[in-house]
Amino acid sequence: MVRQNKKILEILDSVRSEKRFELTEIESKSILNFVSVPIIDTRLADDAEAAVRFASAFEYPVVLKIASPDILHKFDAKGVATNLTNEEEVEKSFKELLRNAKKYNAHARIWGVTVQKHIPRGIEVIVGAVRDPIFGPAVMFGMGGIWIELMKDVSFRLAPTTKESALEMISEIQGYPLLQRFRGGEHVNLEVIAEIIVKISKLISTYPEISEIDVNPIFARADDAIAVDARIVLRHD
Amino acid sequence: MTGKLKSTKTTKLSKAKQNVRAIFEPRSITLIGSSKIVEEVGMTSPKLFADVAYNLQTYFEGRVNIFDIETRSTLGKSDLTILALPPQKSLNWAGKAMNTGTKAIIQLTGGFDAAQRAKYFKLALKHHVRVLGPNTIMGIINTRVGLNTTFERNLMPPVGNISVISQSGGVGATLLDWASYYDIGVSKFVFMGDKVDIDDENVLEYLASDPKTRVIAMYIEGIKNGRKFVELSRKITARKPIVVLKGGITQESAQRALSHTASVAGSDEIFNAAFKDAGIIRVGDIEDLFTASVALASQPPMRGKNVCIVSNVGGPAILAADEVAKAELELAHLSEETKQKVQKAYPGIDLINPIDLIADARADRYRNVLKLVLEDSQVDGVMVINMLKSCFFEPEDAKVIPEVASRYDKPVVDVPVGGEDFIKVANVLKGTGMPTYNLPSKAALALRILYEYGRRQC
Repeated sequence: MVRQNKKILEILDSVRSEKRFELTEIESKSILNFVSVPIIDTRLADDAEAAVRFASAFEYPVVLKIASPDILHKFDAKGVATNLTNEEEVEKSFKELLRNAKKYNAHARIWGVTVQKHIPRGIEVIVGAVRDPIFGPAVMFGMGGIWIELMKDVSFRLAPTTKESALEMISEIQGYPLLQRFRGGEHVNLEVIAEIIVKISKLISTYPEISEIDVNPIFARADDAIAVDARIVLRHD
Repeated sequence: MTGKLKSTKTTKLSKAKQNVRAIFEPRSITLIGSSKIVEEVGMTSPKLFADVAYNLQTYFEGRVNIFDIETRSTLGKSDLTILALPPQKSLNWAGKAMNTGTKAIIQLTGGFDAAQRAKYFKLALKHHVRVLGPNTIMGIINTRVGLNTTFERNLMPPVGNISVISQSGGVGATLLDWASYYDIGVSKFVFMGDKVDIDDENVLEYLASDPKTRVIAMYIEGIKNGRKFVELSRKITARKPIVVLKGGITQESAQRALSHTASVAGSDEIFNAAFKDAGIIRVGDIEDLFTASVALASQPPMRGKNVCIVSNVGGPAILAADEVAKAELELAHLSEETKQKVQKAYPGIDLINPIDLIADARADRYRNVLKLVLEDSQVDGVMVINMLKSCFFEPEDAKVIPEVASRYDKPVVDVPVGGEDFIKVANVLKGTGMPTYNLPSKAALALRILYEYGRRQC
């Protein structure tokens, strides 16, 4: 735990020394990995050749996503390519994602493209955290993917929270029945999601320099849950 | 050395708490005002002075001293000093009152600038005197000792167990008017004002330890120290319910959102989370604040979701069943034993919940069926419906409801649906501790809140 703490502080320090407030996807995922949030292994490729190399190491199919601190909504920017099954598709998608990103925002800083394994989708949920000026850190759970934007189907608790409260948060959202009746009676593993909520609530409570966390989407499945994307933002003051 | 230091600190602390008590439970009061000064803009006026003096002299059980600075000069000692003068004059007289050994001050009038407020606070700290206000305008009410520092003549709610804290003078006045008009039993009433010294937490602590307060109802617009408020409230709600109405729910969080989470984390969502963590019951409007408070002040918490409806009419009972479902409660399934007992006593009564006692039901039938239903372990709470029109039921018959209910540790609420029928039955039940509602939606909300508080206490 002490070692993990040291590694997290190293990442936070290096981000601040570069006068950045937003962590890259890779940095965000590393931190989540250190606090044992199940997260998909992801690499940053700065050219198509590297992307192909990572893709074959992960085994096909893979997912490519644009890596830019200026693009929050990757889908809107056509910055995601899923279910790529061979070298040619990876090479082609790499170039396409860069083109799309430039078209979406000509001034966007582009760090490259991330590569990760394409995994079977589960129900998409989000776990997040913010720092409120009056009440301090708070943790959020909701239906993820596009649902967070459209429906705002979320629940909050002050952080850190307990597993008991986390389970209550899950049961409070409108989409709760979807989590209970997933694929013909099978329900998603709510315990695992509750544990992620608790871990994220502890993360923002432990590191006062963090102001916002998005773990979105998390694929919630019958046996487990795995986070596919993440974003951590630091305080400006 | 350290031991001595520690004990001095403890006495100072408890003295500070003692002096908060003096705001609510003084044995003697001095009201300082002027029969001449009229502020250009502000509340100081001979009229306000006279009206507050009237209420103090009319209601207060202890010694009241009305001190007009235009005619008198030597200030005597009293537990509580009430000030209704412009800022500078108030400060001067506050200093004099503190020198005579007053324990607490209610600064009714406002208009103090930042420097004057700081000076007031420093003075209070130095003398260990607690100050409510400035700009509380209406001050406080303690119905049990007849303490009423408001300038609304003869506005006095009945004695009860609900204590109200308002961060707004206007909303507070509305709540006071509401409670007085609808005969809602009040213990203490506090208008917080500008909080130069006594803050929400101080008042909450006092009310938490006050045996005459069973429910704390609050109108909140903002909170200074969120975590402190949550910690304190969590401790209180384990023993005593807090119901909150929060104003300003459309205010968005000021922070720039770089994440999905921050973009949906408005200040209201976080307030909601904080209230949940604190075990605070949140309501949506003024009427619901009292609906909830009255139920919590008079009925035991509900230990499960199963509600039984006992009615003398069919249609209104069906509407009531709908409201029970909307409140996310359930209709209880009576046990076979209960069904058989009711059937034996009253053949022909349909025992599918809601139970229709038929339009000729009078006190006896209500009494006997209510007893059987409340004894059933599959029933957690009861909603009684008793219409007068189109039925044989007489207002006096309603007396059996609190009589039976008081023997069981389960909540019972009464709905004499309608207008005149409601007033007639409510008048009969006044002072019995039986909450009456003119609509089943309000009764369902009351039961829902009793259920939520029951869960909090588990």
